[in-house]
Amino acid sequence: MRFLSAAGLVTILSGLGAYYATEQLSWFSIVNLIVGPLLLVTVVVVEIGRFRGFTGASSRRVALRWGLGIAAVVAASLAANLLGMRWHSTIDLTVERRYTLSDQTLLICEQIAANRDTEAPSLLFLEDALMAKEVRPLIEAYRGACPGLEVRETRATDAPPEARALLSSADATVLACQPGRCELAGFPSEENISNALLRLGRKRHVRVDFLVGHGEVNLASENEYGFSGLAGALRDEGIQVAALVGAAARAVPKETTVLVVAGPERNLLPAELAAIERYLERGGSLLVLLEPGVTTNLEPLLGRWGFELPKGVLADRAGSPLLEDPKPTSLLLRSYNPFHPVTRKLSNRTLLLMPGARAVIPARKPRPDDDLEGLVFSNRSAWLEKDVVAALADRAIAPDPDEPLGQELPLAAAGRYPRARGEARIVVIGDRDFASNRLLLALYNRDLFLNAVLWLAEDDEHISLRPKAWTPHQDPFTLQQTLAYFYFLAFALPEVLLLLGIHAWYRQRGA
Amino acid sequence: MGAKIEAKAVSKRFGEHVALAELSLEIDQGEIFGIIGPNGAGKTTFLRILTGYWLPSSGDVYVDGHSVVKNRFAVQKQLGYVCEQPKLYDDHGVRTFLHMMGALRGIKRADLDAAVERAIERFGLGEVQRRRIGVLSKGFRQRVSLAQAMIHDPPLIVIDEPTVGLDPRQQIELRRLIQALGGHHTVLLCTHQLREAEVCCDRVALLDRGHLVQIATAQEMEAGGSLEALFLDLTQRSEGQG
Amino acid sequence: MTQRLWALFRKELRTLFASPIAYIVLTVFVALSGVYFFQHLLNYNRLLFVFQSGAISGGSFDAGTIPLQVNSLNDLFIPTSNDLSLFLLAVLPLVTMRVFAEERAQGTDELLLTTSLRPWEVAMAKHVTTYLFVLLMLAVSAIYPAAVVIKSHLGMEHLLALYVGQLGYGMAVAAIGLACSSLTQSQIVAAVLAYAIPFLIIDFTWLHPVLSQGVAQVLDEFALQSHFDSFARGVIELRRGLYFGGIIALGFTVSVGSMEFARAR
Repeated sequence: MRFLSAAGLVTILSGLGAYYATEQLSWFSIVNLIVGPLLLVTVVVVEIGRFRGFTGASSRRVALRWGLGIAAVVAASLAANLLGMRWHSTIDLTVERRYTLSDQTLLICEQIAANRDTEAPSLLFLEDALMAKEVRPLIEAYRGACPGLEVRETRATDAPPEARALLSSADATVLACQPGRCELAGFPSEENISNALLRLGRKRHVRVDFLVGHGEVNLASENEYGFSGLAGALRDEGIQVAALVGAAARAVPKETTVLVVAGPERNLLPAELAAIERYLERGGSLLVLLEPGVTTNLEPLLGRWGFELPKGVLADRAGSPLLEDPKPTSLLLRSYNPFHPVTRKLSNRTLLLMPGARAVIPARKPRPDDDLEGLVFSNRSAWLEKDVVAALADRAIAPDPDEPLGQELPLAAAGRYPRARGEARIVVIGDRDFASNRLLLALYNRDLFLNAVLWLAEDDEHISLRPKAWTPHQDPFTLQQTLAYFYFLAFALPEVLLLLGIHAWYRQRGA
Repeated sequence: MGAKIEAKAVSKRFGEHVALAELSLEIDQGEIFGIIGPNGAGKTTFLRILTGYWLPSSGDVYVDGHSVVKNRFAVQKQLGYVCEQPKLYDDHGVRTFLHMMGALRGIKRADLDAAVERAIERFGLGEVQRRRIGVLSKGFRQRVSLAQAMIHDPPLIVIDEPTVGLDPRQQIELRRLIQALGGHHTVLLCTHQLREAEVCCDRVALLDRGHLVQIATAQEMEAGGSLEALFLDLTQRSEGQG
Repeated sequence: MTQRLWALFRKELRTLFASPIAYIVLTVFVALSGVYFFQHLLNYNRLLFVFQSGAISGGSFDAGTIPLQVNSLNDLFIPTSNDLSLFLLAVLPLVTMRVFAEERAQGTDELLLTTSLRPWEVAMAKHVTTYLFVLLMLAVSAIYPAAVVIKSHLGMEHLLALYVGQLGYGMAVAAIGLACSSLTQSQIVAAVLAYAIPFLIIDFTWLHPVLSQGVAQVLDEFALQSHFDSFARGVIELRRGLYFGGIIALGFTVSVGSMEFARAR
């Protein structure tokens, strides 16, 4: 029996070994994989031969009961597994909750489920792609959370022609597809997959123009203060991004859905100001990012639309120690207007980081039907520091003892202005660096900016909290660490265990 | 006062082979009852059925009215079993082993230490109580086996071939011990050694190839000269009939 | 009941650790894991160096940048975890082979099963002890993935997910081994079966060439290895737990059943 069982194991291992080495089921593997299990079955049959002779009624009863018991456990396990496949339930324990779908993705799923009659999008998962194993849990999460979304697993060679056309020029693991059209998800993160679905499903054309020519942040700049990341984030959601040279344009183009003025450092030309006024009067949307310590002629224009912009920079001792760069002017913000669409999804658990911001106060309505609201507020321990130069130069600052603390000062505000030719919308945010490449992905900064753009574009249904970006860890282990691990793990630990084993052996042999 | 045993037409078959055929017998409370017979007579089979280790193919055994087929756990609570060639855990110390067996036999935690002490004293295990069972002599192993079987003071003690491998002095000691158990306990003794059965038992059943040939009382044993003569006579007669 | 189970459980622990096999298995497991972890560590460092230094300038990667796919999770943590699962498979049958088979071969099961102990109690003590040994093996080896987790800031919760998976996987492999051990008196036969069965079900790709795609997909859902990947990626999935739970329940039932079968034969 022992020989037979050992022979069975050897033949199985040879058969499997040959298969995995050559990746094909040759005759050698087939013969071995048939003979091996047969030998083992023979061994089992002979071994349980000692159970023969269930001759008595009580013996037969016991045999039947336990035979049925084992069959019932097999059946119950199979049923539980099949149910488990259907009802997907997971606990995501990754640091960045990489496999927990974000609010944005769930919203997309809801919209897909609500529009099932239209051309339903599907996810194409290439099971033979390089990163397939890594992405599978995420795909399972989509499958579980998006009942309306069909997830198709296929090999790259079996993909539909519209997908193959894209795959010929780029590598991908996941694509979002509709009949006749596919969108690549790029690196297969939740953010990219959801954005591919978003691009596929976006019905309205949205164009965001960034005014340039007055020292605004450069849209193409990839340095830490540039806005290339922001432009990419907008494009990822299917929004067209363009630069608008104010001096050359006599008017804001008709195609512009939202005009962004991102922290001008010089005055605008009177013609440009007039063009913006005209644009707003005809129902345009404007997003302005300001910087403390910079004053331009845009401020009187904003004042006419109800925004008061006091001089100074907001400082707060309470929020700053959490940051790597602890300055009173680096604000951690957690107080939002819970009723406004832009900030409705944000809560005191979804923080913003603004490195130097000024107050934006929704002071007065130009007309009674207008609506002005604060969006983001400082902590109660914040104050408006008038000495901007000292504050930004990291010199010691302190709240004025005569000024009362304990007020939440708004540093972003939004206004709606129903006019005869359409509803104008304006959002003013007292900081521009929060959306720079350095800080865009910090906390929920990106969500504030993108949600403000979507509200201004009257695309409220896509306002959401986006998946957090995944940062792979690529730090090497130092030589010292590597050697320490090697000596401890490969030698010291086994040595201790072996000594314990020898001790046990001597104890067993002795009294 | 011991337990009463009733075996009713107990049979055990392994395929075609009949190990025990319709065995019926009754053992009274406090009786020392011997089972003798040649190899393959069915002695150990009967003990294994009685102790609930095996199921009978048909029939049943009752211990104080509890059926071994329907409620073997109630039967097992009332007995202590000394297996043939004591099967013990060699890697355990004597005291640890007795402690474990006491707990397994349901002695309460508060009484366990006292019960172990009593067993060690009763079976003379004091000098080896800290030693591993694996290094003990056969005599001590047998004593440990008896101690574990009696640690919970059961009404029924089942002993299979207790003196195999013991030297004559140890055999005499053990027989005295078994004799001392009578009256307070029912003892079922299964042995090859006719002399042992003759000395220790109130009654003896002779088994041959699964069949009960005869039950002899102490008086019959004395009247017949010796159990050896009776055994030879009976088995020859059964062979002649066969 | 509790007292008896506790006594049984202590007996099993004593038997397990009285023999040098447990220590040898632990040593081999830890040494193998250590050597392979070190190998992965070297490969990972080498890979980072190759990409960082721009040694790969052609192909689809930019010189000097490390592709996102190359990271400590993919190239160190997951290979280390996969090794641990493979080594569990390699050494666990050596522990499980003796648990039931030795008891039966030495006849001590007769002693246990005539003390009014229920067969399920005996099996429970043996299974729980073996699972605790699996836990001990994993705890000793936790130092490898923990080193990666700490260095790479993957988070202790990620490590917990991995260990929930490793434990489920190890318990399932042990349950198979224990079931095999309960079916035979020969430790060799028990070990051979305990090796052969997991090797046959660890992955069904070798059956793909002779199966239709539908059947192959269903069969893949029951492959041992496919249920382990998600844990290593930090996700605990209910269905994976159900799969391992099913195997453990089956192994336990077979163990108890084989004792009842042996009694009724």
